[in-house]
Amino acid sequence: MLEIKDLRVSYGQDVVLNGIDLELKSGETLAIVGESGTGKTTLGLSIMRLVEGTVRGTIRFNGKDLLTLSDNEMQQIRWSQIAMVFQNANNVLNPIYTVLNQIMEPMIEHGLKSKKEAQDRAAELLGYFGLPQNRFTAYPHQLSGGEQQKVLLAMAMANDPELLILDEPLSSLDAAARAEVGNLIRETDKHCAKLLATHDLDTVSKLADRMAVLYGGKIIEAGPSQDVLSRPRHPYTRALIRAYPNMTTVKDLQGIKGQMARPVSGCPFHPRCTQAIDICRTEVPKLVWNQGRHIACHRGGIITLLSTKNLTKCFGSLKAIESVSLHIEAGETLSLVGQTGSGKTTLAKTIMGLHQPTEGDVYLEGAKVDSRGRDFYKRVQMVFQNPGESLSHRLSVLEAVVEPLDIQEIGTDEERKEKARQVLGEVELPRTNDFLSKYPHQLSGGEMQRVAIARALVLDPALLIADEPTAFLDASIQAKILKLLLNLQEQRGLSMLYITHDIAAARKVSDRIAIMLNGKIIEEGSSNEIVAAPKQGYTRSLLRAASTLRSTKSTIDEGD
Amino acid sequence: MHIDLKKEIKESGPGKIGIIILLLMIAVALLAPVLARYDPYQQSTASLLSPSWNHWLGTNHVGQDVWSRLVFGARTSLLVGFGVGILSTLLGTIFGVSAALVGGLYEKVVMRIVDAFIVIPMVIIVILISAYIRPSILTLILLLSLLSWQGGARIMRAQALSLKERGHVAAARSFGAHHFYIAWRHIVPDLGPILLVDFIYSVRRAVFMEAGLAFLGITDPTVVSWGMMMRDALSFSYLNVWQWWLVPTGVALSLTIIGLTFVGHAAEPVIEPRLRGAEVA
Repeated sequence: MLEIKDLRVSYGQDVVLNGIDLELKSGETLAIVGESGTGKTTLGLSIMRLVEGTVRGTIRFNGKDLLTLSDNEMQQIRWSQIAMVFQNANNVLNPIYTVLNQIMEPMIEHGLKSKKEAQDRAAELLGYFGLPQNRFTAYPHQLSGGEQQKVLLAMAMANDPELLILDEPLSSLDAAARAEVGNLIRETDKHCAKLLATHDLDTVSKLADRMAVLYGGKIIEAGPSQDVLSRPRHPYTRALIRAYPNMTTVKDLQGIKGQMARPVSGCPFHPRCTQAIDICRTEVPKLVWNQGRHIACHRGGIITLLSTKNLTKCFGSLKAIESVSLHIEAGETLSLVGQTGSGKTTLAKTIMGLHQPTEGDVYLEGAKVDSRGRDFYKRVQMVFQNPGESLSHRLSVLEAVVEPLDIQEIGTDEERKEKARQVLGEVELPRTNDFLSKYPHQLSGGEMQRVAIARALVLDPALLIADEPTAFLDASIQAKILKLLLNLQEQRGLSMLYITHDIAAARKVSDRIAIMLNGKIIEEGSSNEIVAAPKQGYTRSLLRAASTLRSTKSTIDEGD
Repeated sequence: MHIDLKKEIKESGPGKIGIIILLLMIAVALLAPVLARYDPYQQSTASLLSPSWNHWLGTNHVGQDVWSRLVFGARTSLLVGFGVGILSTLLGTIFGVSAALVGGLYEKVVMRIVDAFIVIPMVIIVILISAYIRPSILTLILLLSLLSWQGGARIMRAQALSLKERGHVAAARSFGAHHFYIAWRHIVPDLGPILLVDFIYSVRRAVFMEAGLAFLGITDPTVVSWGMMMRDALSFSYLNVWQWWLVPTGVALSLTIIGLTFVGHAAEPVIEPRLRGAEVA
């Protein structure tokens, strides 16, 4: 019904939309999602032909290219077949007409109804959208924001349009009004196609069948909205979801590094993308169909950084880990949760090559890891459980942090020290000469672990395996270290394999959780699924035993 | 390895005495040209003299000053001792640590060689070889080192096996470090005290062996050596000057070995900490 091809809109030198391809079927709701300034509103206005900039490309509406129509022809379509609900309700309504009159206006103007019919229809619509009868003759400024929004919706629906463009329809409303108006939008005229421009993922999940994520004037990911929201495949989409406060995800909020910049050569997201490679800087990725989703990414969306396949490690007759297959995506945290002796550390050490696997393979970015040379360790680093052990008592802070660079023979002496200082700053440690020349026994546990983390980060690894990094620290220091790891993930796109026995801590830092028992992964899923709907009895018992501040005197029991 | 070797030795009475004796011997060896009144090699017609003001310990059968020879003998003795100490400890460390780190077939081969050498009585081998090649000081050092590093290697390997399981070694490996780096930066520094004990035992053994071989007359006859001096003394036992050749030399040799033994014994708890409790009780 609506088909947009290669739509480009610019205001002077500013290219706002840069080649948008969209299709919308009758009765379907498509959400256009993006941060403010990505061009969502411009897209809506372009379809309405109300945009002031230069518009190129085609917008086919029921076979007609809207961009080639004369103003008159467009006038016929606008507000009768295509209607729009604007973002700022109180700016759009005319302050000198009553709301009832304003809703009648498009019907009369298009000559579709007589004055009487229009009045009945307007009253019906206002009634449908839940405006009390005594408010029909009110002036816009006498209405609350929610009521104004209802009026706008009623006005847009007045001529039974085939396409309704909604620009942030709920963002000015409070939560209760939002739910109410949201329902009304969903229920109204199921044949009407809706194009929903919003930054609000809650609105998307409630109203939209499909969603398209807009960034830098381009669609970077599109697909069924539930699908995209539960498993985003473009780094930007994932970052957007991570930054959105909601009751579903259990991981702490994370921002997106940097700021939107334009114009940008290559992929519009590459300056903020943590998995960008050379081609991302030079060539614009095309939106292509990729496993049930449209994705515009040179790397095919979020890549799988490391995976293991049937990894088994035996010590004599003891199977410490058995057929472990898991994968870690770039920039995500996978928590490995299990009790002591379940094989978590053995798994970590086997991935690191500190143990030789009895069976199975490890893959780094899809390539099988045979022998681990410097290249492997440059990509994958580990923070050990006990910083007091993992830091040599003979090396000062500076020497310890420089050590990986020494081993890898990267840079000159001066560059190495400079890099070490920079990383120490990143982990929020002082960079004074006094501190740099301290020895581990002069540091507190938290400081030691930070030094150990700095040391692991000095090679700029893509994956950090953190083996109970906070096991020896008290809660307040643990919180700081976990926050630090999350920040590093945000800034560097660090992937993490976080090993812990503490599912309460794991859910705060991880995108996915894998539960390990007796050397096997018994359950794996997104952290919110694991926490909210565990499938295995053992997982449930872990959750029951997890720290809580509520009295559980009567509810603690073992087994299931 | 938080064992303080200095403290260990200082707290032991014999240890202190041992250190004093050793320092004395080293001083004598270093100051030999000052202490000696004659060239120890210079022969003269004044042979077989009894002790006098000119010749404190008399002269020998070819007219060499015995005191000067005694003083210069300390050089030979300690040179061989420390030479072998350093070389055999080095070999022991290289083979012991590398066996522990590399493992596999290499470790098996090295350790079986070590076992084989430990079973063979070293004294006999050295005597046989020396009798055949008449080694100079340098070859003697090499020979003794080649035959004495094995015991140390076993201890180093055992220690390195435990050290390599430490967190910081695993960390270094996870940065991509190779064996040599790990050995040099993370294992050997922690072997320190054990290296020293091994070194002291090697020195003691070498001093003893050198004197013994010289006594048997199968070392370089042109070098002054306590063993050779004692041998000369015994071959002139029918004259009344032999005791002046034998007793001071014997005392010097005994002192050196006793000094080394004391120091080694005091430092032994480093290798075997269980000894410490027993000594206190």
